[in-house]
Amino acid sequence: MNIGEILKNLWNDSGFHLFGGDSGWQSIVMIVIALFLLYLGIKKKFEPLLLVGIAFGMLLTNLPGSGLFHSEYWTGADAVAKGVNYLDVLQHGGLLDILYIGVKTGVYPCLIFMGVGAMTDFGPMLSRPSSLILGAAAQGGIYLVLILAAATGMFTGGEAASISIIAGADGPTAIFLTKTLAPQLLAPIAVAAYSYMALIPLLQPPFMKLLTTKKERMAVMTSTRKVSKKEKIIFPILVTIVVSLLLPSVAPLLGSLMFGNLLKECGVTERLSDTAQNALMNIVTLFLGISVGATAVGATFLTTKTLLIIVLGLAGFVLATVCGLLIGKLLYVISKGKINPLIGSAGVSAVPMAARVSNTVGLQYNKGNYLLMHAMGPNVAGVIGSAVAAGFLLAVFGA
Amino acid sequence: MSGFVLSAILDKEAPLKALDALLLALIGIVIVFIVLIALMLLVSLVGKIFDGSEKLQAKHPEWGEKIAAFKAKMMFWKKSKPEEEQPEAEEAKQLAAGTCGELTLINCEERDAAMIMAIVADSLNTPLNELRFKSIKRVEE
Repeated sequence: MNIGEILKNLWNDSGFHLFGGDSGWQSIVMIVIALFLLYLGIKKKFEPLLLVGIAFGMLLTNLPGSGLFHSEYWTGADAVAKGVNYLDVLQHGGLLDILYIGVKTGVYPCLIFMGVGAMTDFGPMLSRPSSLILGAAAQGGIYLVLILAAATGMFTGGEAASISIIAGADGPTAIFLTKTLAPQLLAPIAVAAYSYMALIPLLQPPFMKLLTTKKERMAVMTSTRKVSKKEKIIFPILVTIVVSLLLPSVAPLLGSLMFGNLLKECGVTERLSDTAQNALMNIVTLFLGISVGATAVGATFLTTKTLLIIVLGLAGFVLATVCGLLIGKLLYVISKGKINPLIGSAGVSAVPMAARVSNTVGLQYNKGNYLLMHAMGPNVAGVIGSAVAAGFLLAVFGA
Repeated sequence: MSGFVLSAILDKEAPLKALDALLLALIGIVIVFIVLIALMLLVSLVGKIFDGSEKLQAKHPEWGEKIAAFKAKMMFWKKSKPEEEQPEAEEAKQLAAGTCGELTLINCEERDAAMIMAIVADSLNTPLNELRFKSIKRVEE
């Protein structure tokens, strides 16, 4: 073998040469999209903890010849017909294939929920149980998007359900549902969900101002009853039993969320609570982001369906906000002005972003009227609501 | 009506029909409301039970004394901690749960502290995880 042949072989094996292949242009477009998402994550700070990982996973998977991720293991004809061959993945898969096992088996979203539970204070919701109504109302966005997705006539039931859950503004829940019902759409759905969550401070205020009067926005909410430690300990146990018995398909997500919360509230597992909130959460976020990004392969990502998912996701966030606000207005009337309808928009479960937006808009009209703690009630109720909605969709389409 | 739902569930490869989706959406939102309203009622019930027991104790202080005496009796069976460990335990009580052991709350509840920290972060336009609070103290007027 002469030097010329060696150099030729090196060139033929290089990614630059492979760009000239049939799907080369798709890889180039995907790399440009990945660089744009990296820009959004790093420069614009759009959910950077996940978006940077997703974008980098997208970059790695679209470098021709790298062999880090093989979509055929997960969504190929054999995988669909016979199920995923995990032994084959472990023996011959790339790094991102192995990391993706955590997404496919639903382990990562549940572990993230455990961390979220350990960071969440359900106190504001317990002190004002009517917050749960607002948390339920905002889930209307999910079902309205289900109808819209069906109206396009382009999506199967599982795909429409996975797209609709974007409106729940809850990344782990969206990933958990999509990996089961429509794994081929995981990347666009995850990117849409996390991007729109970052845009909540821009998306929600115009609708909050449009749908409420100045008088309603100025409504002052009085402080609520003090919640005892025992109530906070009983709550996660009670929710796990009641909701898991009513809707068993939601048990992995909600069980993890409530377990994390119990670790925080019981007061005797501070080390575990600290690990769930920090070390574990960070590790899983790393793996989740990069492996979800890896599913964004040009052939499946660059389709009209992706564009529709982006549009439907945006519609979902808006509709969820509107549903929450309308029920908020109803509660304002029923309570004779004691509930500020602005906290209704916090029913979408982007914690704590949506609650902060309610607080900011409230302060614009009434200085000193801090709505943050009141908005945290519907906000955390929204997490439970979106998990319940996902459980229902899983029960219907995952059976 | 059930025919629509059945077609949506059974034919997983076919596009979802708008009518099926409408029906599923109605059932879905009703289920979400039922589950969350059930939780709301349970949470209210638990809250009332706790509030009620506090009121009862306030109404009958002698019951409180009896409970305290019972607790003291129970404590007798517990092994007491070595004396040198106690000051450390006292100090630990002052720390807010979930911190790295740096934030000290003085006459301030966790809930109020959380609100104060969120307001400060919002006013400074700085993410909460980039701020470090050392102590929060209630100023008596």
